Amino acid sequence: MVDKRMQLTPPTLPEDPADALAAVGALRRLADQVEDAAVERALHDGWSWTDVAEALGVTRQAVHKKHARRLRGTGVGLRRGAR
Amino acid sequence: MAFERFTKDARATVMAARAEALAAGHATIEAEHLLLALSERPDLQALGLDREQLSYALAAEEERSLAAVGVAASGPDEPIGPRRPRDPQFATSAKLALHRAVSAAAKRGDRRLDARHVLLGVLGAQYGRVPRALQIAEIDVDALRARI
Repeated sequence: MVDKRMQLTPPTLPEDPADALAAVGALRRLADQVEDAAVERALHDGWSWTDVAEALGVTRQAVHKKHARRLRGTGVGLRRGAR
Repeated sequence: MAFERFTKDARATVMAARAEALAAGHATIEAEHLLLALSERPDLQALGLDREQLSYALAAEEERSLAAVGVAASGPDEPIGPRRPRDPQFATSAKLALHRAVSAAAKRGDRRLDARHVLLGVLGAQYGRVPRALQIAEIDVDALRARI
């Protein structure tokens, strides 16, 4: 049962547009880094490319194209059936 | 982009910027990578470019920009950082810096574009990571520009 008193604190927008816009770029870079790290960890843990794609909300082709070459030679993504 | 007008030094700077992005594990080559590449040059260090200072300022800029929307490092887990390098491509901030470098050379009446012009191009941005980092480092950009 969800406690109706729970409150979420949404991120606030910096007042200075320069700061707010700078945050956009920083978040995009961070998102890239989180994606790289998360995909690598998932594959290392034995996830299939298909499951990684579903978790990201993209196609298997897209995630494979983006990450496979980068991770080649690191021993991930080689799980049996991970095509 | 008239690369044939670039001196050997300017071309080396552009290639070094790509190496910076690769080394940092970044997906794109930005003006900040040009700045770091330029700071490796002794002739520009003599004008006041300090790589360590600039690296620190760039890292601080990133931290501050994320903190401004509530994202901060926390917890004992492995910090998320750049991973194995992708094949970085030149992105807008770097391309604009180079376009400004071309203008700077033209304005000075210089036929060839060298590393100094690239620096002028990098310094010419009003907004973005580079000017913000320069502000954090308390670098007097106008004074630096005058010395170039």
